[in-house]
Amino acid sequence: MSIQYKTISELRSMLDAKKISSKEIVEETFNLIERNSDLNAFITLNKDAAIAKSIEIENSSVKSSLHGIPIAQKDLFCTKDLRTTCGSNILSNFIPPYSATVIENLENAGCISVGKTNMDEFAMGSSNETSFFGGVVNPWGDKLVPGGSSGGSASAVAAGIVPAATGTDTGGSIRQPASLCGITGLKPTYGRISRWGMIAFASSLDQAGPMARTAEDCAIMLNEMCSHDTKDTTSLSEDIPDFTKELNASIKGLKIGIVKEFDMSKLDDNVVSIFEESKKHYESLGAEFVEVSLPNISLSVPAYYVVAPAECSSNLSRFDGVKFGQRSENPINLEELYIKTRSEGFGDEVKRRILIGSYVLSAGFYDAYYKKAQQVRRLIKNDFDSAFKEVDVIMSPTTRGAAFKAGSKGSDPIQMYLEDLFTIPANLAGLPAMSIPNGMVDNKPIGLQLIGNFLDEKRILQVAHSFQKSTDWHLKTPEGNKLS
Amino acid sequence: MDKKTVANIAHLSRLKLNNENEDRITSDLENIIKFVDQLNDVNVEDIAPLTSPLEKTAKTRSDEVTARNRKDVFLDRAPKSNEDYFLVPRVVE
Repeated sequence: MSIQYKTISELRSMLDAKKISSKEIVEETFNLIERNSDLNAFITLNKDAAIAKSIEIENSSVKSSLHGIPIAQKDLFCTKDLRTTCGSNILSNFIPPYSATVIENLENAGCISVGKTNMDEFAMGSSNETSFFGGVVNPWGDKLVPGGSSGGSASAVAAGIVPAATGTDTGGSIRQPASLCGITGLKPTYGRISRWGMIAFASSLDQAGPMARTAEDCAIMLNEMCSHDTKDTTSLSEDIPDFTKELNASIKGLKIGIVKEFDMSKLDDNVVSIFEESKKHYESLGAEFVEVSLPNISLSVPAYYVVAPAECSSNLSRFDGVKFGQRSENPINLEELYIKTRSEGFGDEVKRRILIGSYVLSAGFYDAYYKKAQQVRRLIKNDFDSAFKEVDVIMSPTTRGAAFKAGSKGSDPIQMYLEDLFTIPANLAGLPAMSIPNGMVDNKPIGLQLIGNFLDEKRILQVAHSFQKSTDWHLKTPEGNKLS
Repeated sequence: MDKKTVANIAHLSRLKLNNENEDRITSDLENIIKFVDQLNDVNVEDIAPLTSPLEKTAKTRSDEVTARNRKDVFLDRAPKSNEDYFLVPRVVE
């Protein structure tokens, strides 16, 4: 029985009706991984442990929400005794002695981790081209990038290999690949999901989240991923609602904000017309559109490219070849051990960001760059605070266009940075945001972004679910089959 | 952004650039810095910096030992170690 393109909910029904066993699901998942090995979506597979767990689960009487469901884990989460590389040469031999809290949460809910997905090195990239383990292919087209940094997770879900995967989002790394691969991805409120055991890139921006085929499956995943974690001081202690409850709530009278300052002239024309169609669709569902002003939004990308590299240069100082990971051979002294290990271990994009970070934090430049970027960050957050007094959610395209060919952005890093133009603001303000498929450009999917108020994941999930109940963009597959 | 500045921040970052990528990285950094210079267009006087979206005091917990001694597990993963220490090249001659 084929499990390709099945959602978590569908696999759950098949398992409950005993139409398939969880061992069969896992074996079929590995067949799918093998048949799709050209995608290069996985860095490390977890086959033996996954099959063993599927047998154990079949014999267990406890039934939890993800019982027997295969999930792919982004290779940024530490997984006990399973290699965790973060897409980098410097961690290419790293076997963590513990699992991230979010991995433990999902596995305690019965999920079966089938492998670790490819990603941009240390999550720094928007096309998956910076991975030490090679680029990932987007199943929607030859040589198309899947987006990044959670490119392997997005590609694996889009190809129907797994119903869901974990991702992380520092400036758009869940939503941008979700958009380019035609799947649904959610970045929760900063602090909703513990960051313990997530390899840090920019600690004040990083947040884990689910990537799946539907908003409903994202809600199921989110229920298990969130927790109050004493091991992460930024883990929120606020109540965690059941995100699957009230998914079907009506959106009649919902106020959706459209950002006056988002410059649509820089977008692909098709993206703009698809966005207009989605607005009409929401109007037909009873939503109302209101223009909101976020006057400082155009400074999001420059502010981000000070704050994120600054935090990255500090976080990545721990990779020095002393305690874990790769170490350079035969250094003449300790200083050279650090320098050679890091110079050989990091790729060019990671080096660029570390250097920018060191520059903006260095004496004489700190106030002009780092402090200023943090002040601008507050202005952006204040803009959102005012906007959410008038509207319930804010809507925009997720990306400027559909997936592009590998290598086509040229060598100018800023062109790649602008990929995240629409996604970065939610990270700076710590707000929940998601991307759902809302159309096709030249047979390639694109996404619609929904930004919610602080802790209001439930609302954006409802808004996404109402769209998916009445449209079929999320049901399209790269093979041209429309699922029913 | 000149080569001297780049050499200085590369040293602060404990990174060595080779001749091949030094020119390109220098010009990339210059372009990135020019790009972020847009931040100068806005007046931020009297605006307090926002260091984290959660403006809360870090939570505290009761002062109890929760960590177990897992020395062997960690030393085992080190590139070079003996039974008690991580080993690095000689520091004191």
